[in-house]
Amino acid sequence: MPKDVLGEFEHQVLLATLRLKDGAYSTTIVLELERVTGRDVAPAAVYIALRRLEEGGFAASSLRPPPEGGRQRRYFQVTPAGLDLMRESRRRYVALWDGVESVLEPGSP
Amino acid sequence: MSPDEDRAPPRFWSALLSRALPPEDRDTFPGELAELYRRRIRREGPGPARRWYRNQVLELGLRRAAKALRGITTNSTGGGGMDGIRRDVGYAIRRMVRSPGFTLVAVLSLALGIGANTAIFSFVDAVLFRPSPVEGRDRLVDLFTRQEGFSHGALSYLDLQDLEDRTTDVFEGLAYYRLGMFPADGDDGSVEMLPAQLVSGNFFTLQGLDAAVGRTLLPEDHVAEGAHPVVVLGEGYWERRFGGDPGVVGRELRISGATLTVVGVVQPEFDGSLRGIVPDLYIPVLQIEALDPTAPDFESRGNQSYFAVARLRDGVGVERARDALVRETERLRSEEPTSWTGDESVILERTADVVVNPMVDRVLVPAMGVLMAVVGVVLLIACANLASFLLARARDRRREIAVRLAVGASRGSLIRQLLTETVVLGLLGGMGGATLGWAAVRWLETADLPLPLPISLGLGLNGSVLAFTAAISLLAGLLFGLAPALQATNPDLASTIKNETTGGPRSRFALRNLLVVGQVAGSLVLLVGAGLLVRSLIARQAVDPGFGGAPAALVEITAGPRAVETGEAAWLDEVEARVADVPGVATVGLTSNLHLNTLNTSTAYVTVDGVAPPPDREWWSVDAADVNDEFFQAMAMETVRGRTFGASDAADGARVLVVNEAFVDRFFPDGDAVGRTVRLGSDGVEHTVVGVVETARIRSLGEAPRPFVYGSLRQDPSTYVHVVARTAGVDARRAALDVSAAIRSVDPDTPIYSQTTMERHLAVVLLPARLGVWMGAAFALLALTLAALGLYGVVSYAVARKSREVGIRMSLGADAGRVVRMLMAEGLRLVAVGGLVGLAAAAGFGALLSRFLYGVGALDPLAFGSTLAVLVAVAVLASWVPARRATRIDPVRALKAD
Repeated sequence: MPKDVLGEFEHQVLLATLRLKDGAYSTTIVLELERVTGRDVAPAAVYIALRRLEEGGFAASSLRPPPEGGRQRRYFQVTPAGLDLMRESRRRYVALWDGVESVLEPGSP
Repeated sequence: MSPDEDRAPPRFWSALLSRALPPEDRDTFPGELAELYRRRIRREGPGPARRWYRNQVLELGLRRAAKALRGITTNSTGGGGMDGIRRDVGYAIRRMVRSPGFTLVAVLSLALGIGANTAIFSFVDAVLFRPSPVEGRDRLVDLFTRQEGFSHGALSYLDLQDLEDRTTDVFEGLAYYRLGMFPADGDDGSVEMLPAQLVSGNFFTLQGLDAAVGRTLLPEDHVAEGAHPVVVLGEGYWERRFGGDPGVVGRELRISGATLTVVGVVQPEFDGSLRGIVPDLYIPVLQIEALDPTAPDFESRGNQSYFAVARLRDGVGVERARDALVRETERLRSEEPTSWTGDESVILERTADVVVNPMVDRVLVPAMGVLMAVVGVVLLIACANLASFLLARARDRRREIAVRLAVGASRGSLIRQLLTETVVLGLLGGMGGATLGWAAVRWLETADLPLPLPISLGLGLNGSVLAFTAAISLLAGLLFGLAPALQATNPDLASTIKNETTGGPRSRFALRNLLVVGQVAGSLVLLVGAGLLVRSLIARQAVDPGFGGAPAALVEITAGPRAVETGEAAWLDEVEARVADVPGVATVGLTSNLHLNTLNTSTAYVTVDGVAPPPDREWWSVDAADVNDEFFQAMAMETVRGRTFGASDAADGARVLVVNEAFVDRFFPDGDAVGRTVRLGSDGVEHTVVGVVETARIRSLGEAPRPFVYGSLRQDPSTYVHVVARTAGVDARRAALDVSAAIRSVDPDTPIYSQTTMERHLAVVLLPARLGVWMGAAFALLALTLAALGLYGVVSYAVARKSREVGIRMSLGADAGRVVRMLMAEGLRLVAVGGLVGLAAAAGFGALLSRFLYGVGALDPLAFGSTLAVLVAVAVLASWVPARRATRIDPVRALKAD
């Protein structure tokens, strides 16, 4: 599996991580994905995806206790390489979407 | 329980989670998952939350395993065809990860089935298929004596001397050997009993066997009695005692009081001549008297302890060799009429056709067949189970597959993909099975079974066992995958895509039903088999052996150097007195032939006036022993009439005998034996019967009452005795150690052959029956569990198909009991059909088992009845649970479901 291609699910996990800013760890990522997509999300799948992203250098993690205190959590951040990858995949998608709008939404310009 | 604990994730699964995670995540991820778990509890309640948690743990474990596996498969790059297979394997792994529950059940039940097959096959392989290093084995024959009631016995040393000289026209050479257990002195003063094979000088050369170190025994070592005190070590003993040191040649060993020089180590592939008994020592047979001064090998033709192997001359066939043996039998009869009587003859069997001994093989080989059949049925049931699960799943996947067929996937490639899934499952099950099988074999090898001999088969997972396991794993994967794959890819596209909810074609359901019927029938067969074996064991245990009702320590000894100095009678008196002083010993019995000892028999020639000997014979051959005065008391045997021996029966006084009731029935039909005369031996010495005791079992528990004569040890001192020390208030095992010490205090060099308790001695006789019951019960339980799972699956499936109907009925206020009954009826109909088929098959299986049964018929109504009851109970439960659950379906959900 080439390292510079993101799976759909990994893509979603990266997006959720970005949206959550400083508060991204497995639990919040699961909840964010469930909230946005409206579907059940398996924490195990999120965990595996995060590890793969980290191995690929697209995300980085650090251990720290939550602001309210308590046990340590593993918080994730998107790395510059991850941001590049997302920019690139957004560029591809946008290019693909080009000219499709009129088919999907016939009324709009 | 505090609210906090209540909200902690299930302990088992959270422990498993920690194991599935890499160490660096064990402190963080479990806590994070627990947060989500608590949310689930609030949202859905504790039950669903627990199930959700469990699934997350399983999924994580499988995903991590799959990742590791993918690492392996992607690293091994193959050619063009491999790419497709790799893609299929990857897809299969992803699908397995997606349904962790099914994967777990499938792999586990396959592992159990394959594990049982692996364990049993490693046993069969060790006994039947292990290659022999003997050269030109197809030109070798084994020689035996045939006699009424004993088809393949051993020969005597003197007879073999004659045969060796006179059969050179048909045999290139004739070698012989006997087995013995001898005490070896360790370096630290300990004594260890070692199995040894005493061999003729040409034994190794005739069979083309080599030495790993030094040399083997050679014809030069076989020149004169006691002239060559040398020994060749077995490979196992060499490793164990000398750490495989090649410098062992030239060292001296103290064996049974004699000093032997090591001349070599035999090649590691050779495990001795008698499968199951691996000799530690190979010693020239002419040394026997140095090791056991009492062995009568060289004097008496009646001492038949030797087995012989001969190599056919070039151009000589087995038939010609047989004719030569007929000729020699005639010659022996005319030259040695006292020992060679009418019904005895020398016979041969091809060595390649003999496993242990033809008499043992007659039981052993069918037993292996039955065992393989039993584990085969267990595996088939496991496969049938998975096939029926997959058929149910195939229904869920029909749409996916139909779409793929519609967009142009070939049916062949889809079948290949579906089969890849089941084969991957099969191979995972195979790995688990190999592990389970290995564990079972390890347990068998190390278990402290009450065996009469140090039996060692060298069980293990060698190449052929692993090849077998891999083959059945693959076969299992194909077997349970093929039918579902064919069904699922049935190209009836249009109806499937259009209408996915109204159930599949009728035939698919019928196939599943057939599988359940098969499972029920198969497990019934195994249950009946186990039931018959249990009944047989109970019947055996109910047999009163006629002795040993009181606890006793048993020590088997032979006279050491001191007995030679003082005379045997004085030595025996001293042993008896010292053992009687051991604390906790109440009575000391001595006997030259212990009842139900599986290794030796001892008989006396008996003539009684007025009772004609058997045809062609001058006397009766009756089991016999010489015993001391207190023997009967020590053995807890009842005296029926007259008296047992006492001080009045002096060594040089009138010769006396005690006989058992079976002897009276046979020789004194008028029932009055006391005071009558019995002649013993070929010279007919007169003995007077002084008492009659109850009939004990002599050779086996199942035997018809056997006549037995007890002579007085005082009048006929023996150098080989079993000491039976009846104990009171102490542990007999502990007492056996003290008794041995007391015997050694008379003569520290006394060879002690065995040291055990009465309880264990009797357990030896029951061992085959007990092993049969353990295995039978274990496999039957396994089969029943699998069949119950299958039945549960079928009823759940039927319930799922009818959930809309049930929902409507329930919402209309139907009686829950009636709905449950309706749903259960479906499952129980299958049980009834399977039960009938199974009963018929079980009757056949019972006939197959009948030779292993004792005191119970192959159609024992109790075994059949109770088995049927167990099956029905399990079946009712397996169909009641899902049916009951169905009535709790929320009608609204059920109606919306489709």
